[in-house]
Amino acid sequence: MTLLDCKHLDLRIGSIEVAADLSLELAPGEFWGLLGPNGIGKTTLLKCLAGLLTPASGQVFLESRDITELPRKLVAQHLGMLQQHTVYVFDSSVMQTVLTGRHPHLAYWEREGPNDLQKANEALKAVELDGFAQRSVTGLSGGEARRLAFAALLVQDPAIMLLDEPTNHLDLRHQVQIMGMIRDRIRHGGFTAIAALHDINLAACYCSHILMLLGNGGWVAGRREAILNQPNLEKLYGCPVEVIQGKDGARFHPVEA
Amino acid sequence: MMPTARRRLLFYLLVILSAGSIVLAAAAGSVSLGWEQWTNALLHPDSEFGELVWRLRIPRAAAAWTVGALLSLSGCLMQVLLRNPLADPYILGVSGGASFATLLGMTVGVAASLLPALAWAGALISILIVFSLARGEGPWSRTRLLLTGVVTASGWAALISLLLTMGSDSSLRGMLFWLLGDLSYARLPPWALASLVFIFMICFGMARSLNVLAMGETTARLLGEPTRKLLWLVYLLASILTATAVSIAGNIGFVGLIVPHLMRLIVGSDHRILLPAAALFGGFFLVFSDTLARTLLAPRQLPVGVVTALIGVPLFLLLLNRARVKQ
Repeated sequence: MTLLDCKHLDLRIGSIEVAADLSLELAPGEFWGLLGPNGIGKTTLLKCLAGLLTPASGQVFLESRDITELPRKLVAQHLGMLQQHTVYVFDSSVMQTVLTGRHPHLAYWEREGPNDLQKANEALKAVELDGFAQRSVTGLSGGEARRLAFAALLVQDPAIMLLDEPTNHLDLRHQVQIMGMIRDRIRHGGFTAIAALHDINLAACYCSHILMLLGNGGWVAGRREAILNQPNLEKLYGCPVEVIQGKDGARFHPVEA
Repeated sequence: MMPTARRRLLFYLLVILSAGSIVLAAAAGSVSLGWEQWTNALLHPDSEFGELVWRLRIPRAAAAWTVGALLSLSGCLMQVLLRNPLADPYILGVSGGASFATLLGMTVGVAASLLPALAWAGALISILIVFSLARGEGPWSRTRLLLTGVVTASGWAALISLLLTMGSDSSLRGMLFWLLGDLSYARLPPWALASLVFIFMICFGMARSLNVLAMGETTARLLGEPTRKLLWLVYLLASILTATAVSIAGNIGFVGLIVPHLMRLIVGSDHRILLPAAALFGGFFLVFSDTLARTLLAPRQLPVGVVTALIGVPLFLLLLNRARVKQ
């Protein structure tokens, strides 16, 4: 069974065509990389897959049910999204923010129990923010805020993760750490994820599948080995790319025209 | 997040402050009572001083406490609703409608006992105008709600100014007191207390949802909130709280803006702690301010709105400054 799929999706932002007739299936164990130049509509597509935006036509199905017809709470128990930016208007503590990930799993009036607290502590530890629990979120650095948002997603524990540039603001070690965590989670839990990325080599390292948004509604999708190659990348970004064979597969870097 | 022990201590402290303020309000006034006279009055409601304490001071203190709690709670909700720390209970024009209706009633000489009902009717009209105009199709728009509310409030303000300029000199003083917020004739109708308790329970139950909502609509939806419904619910609840408060005591300023902030600085932004803390402190703060308003220049009475601002401003600036130092 696919966890998340869309059929004949037509998606536009104003006059920009993001994707035309896009059909996609995210099956358990698959880690999709979403590649495309700036402003092509990666975030819009992710929001549409999360059921936050209505497409011009086509449907999104969460475990075979139309996502727009499901209560948001049920959606949130199965699907979580890491947004590109997090803005905090009101101050709150790191612990309080991580615990919001438990929100969809708790009833009206219910409080977080020891089990929830344990999950929160584990997530903070996983992103190396243990010891930050009582700190204020407004005092965090960009990378720390990013890891905090990811920890909240871990605590939400969804089968489907939509990630909008999860490695933004992160140093190399934390990039590798978080991508590895997503991949391991998918493998062990039978989950799935799709991540908008700008780093082709992170996609080459960790993703099993690739979706490229080419502009004007065009797209290509499939297994990584079939999609992630020199001609496709040069077409996607409009700049020459060189392929290097590394120890664990092909890596890409730009060359001067 | 505060540790549970400290949270409980704070809660008891706020309850004691609230109760203490009502006792103080019952003891202090332009007629000063000795200890013996006062206990006597408490025990014998029918005696001369008993009447003073039980029929005048305690009802007024109860009204003040309820209005303070209503406004503080409404302020908390409005700040989440508009996701703006500068929002106060009056920002979306609820009080404007209530004020206009009340002043109109005063101008044409409606009996004083009918003024609260008139205030409520004015508030309701304002709520309906803003609700129907800001709603529209498409997704929830905070900007549209804010603009509709603020512009509606300005419209009411213009009409109020018109009434003030046309009103007779004799009625002007009463109008001014009402606009500044005045508890002199305030009595606590049971339904006001009932709606405070009822709405508080609803809000306390959905406090976790409010926490999520404060992080923005998209985040809230991703965490499972039907934000459109929830935001309109918050708008309606906040408006009802404001309308109830204004119908009892006029436009008492500052409480609904300052108390939520003050409490956020002390207890943090988790609404499960913030809401009860703000309600209790708001009640205490207004009873205390009203007692000062009655006694500072006794037998003259000041409008309580002036006193709330005079105490609130330095208190708030002091706490804000200390919070910054701590960070």
